[in-house]
Amino acid sequence: MTEENFSPQESLRLIQSMITKTKQDISDNSVHFLVWGWITFIACTGQFVLKNIFNYEKHYVVWSLTVVGIIFSNWYNFKEEKTRKVKTYVGESIKHLWLGMAIAYFVLSIIFTKTGWNTQVFPFFILLYGLGSFISGSIIQFRPLIVGGIIAFIVAIVSVFAPYDYQILFAAGAILFSYIIPAYLLRYKNKHSKE
Amino acid sequence: MFKDLNPILHSQLRLAVISLLISVKEAEFTFLKEKTNATAGNLSVQIQKLKEAGYIDVIKQFKDNYPQTICKITPQGVNAFSEYVKSLQTYLGQK
Repeated sequence: MTEENFSPQESLRLIQSMITKTKQDISDNSVHFLVWGWITFIACTGQFVLKNIFNYEKHYVVWSLTVVGIIFSNWYNFKEEKTRKVKTYVGESIKHLWLGMAIAYFVLSIIFTKTGWNTQVFPFFILLYGLGSFISGSIIQFRPLIVGGIIAFIVAIVSVFAPYDYQILFAAGAILFSYIIPAYLLRYKNKHSKE
Repeated sequence: MFKDLNPILHSQLRLAVISLLISVKEAEFTFLKEKTNATAGNLSVQIQKLKEAGYIDVIKQFKDNYPQTICKITPQGVNAFSEYVKSLQTYLGQK
């Protein structure tokens, strides 16, 4: 780039082209939605099957799958951090949102274990799934995540009226609509916008 | 004709750097170099000028034993950019 005087029109074009270049650098978040979506979906349906079909007492053991998610997320974030050259407001907001959500899930698990309200835990979990998708969708301006979040809010209300065993299935459904389907759509969109 | 335009910003490379930094939280020197296609020497000089004007903060640190330079826009830089864009609009009769 040269240092000579240039016209206001050229200035505006330059500003526009630079801002467009930063937009292209927003990294693909869909991998986290996919990994956590499938882990939670398998855990929910797995718990339902173990509890109701096999009558297995320790049906909640399937939730230990989340350890795989924690290891993957940490490894992926570490790898990304090493190669990342820019921090965007969108990326930082999403990172803090999901860190906060992870802490909220942990706190909620302690509260429900301590109070013994375990049979009502899923409507709260579904509510949080929805909140995460709804806010993420708003930040990255991706409508399927926002719609998925709204669906999860409705499922959270409906699930209160269902027996505990079926609340697990409602949670699996909420995950499908608020994480898994939007994540595949986001992946498709990112893939095509790069081409 | 363009005497009212802030001379610090009315330079292609400095304007490019500020335009990149306005839309991100912070960026590495290598990111700015890659996006502006500037030479490292020229970019360093222009970054120093923006720093002296108080428009950007420059943080020098080490990452995995390699030196790393991080740049971020200051509130003063945001104001200057906003004023610059307003002046441009005036010239272009968009006001």
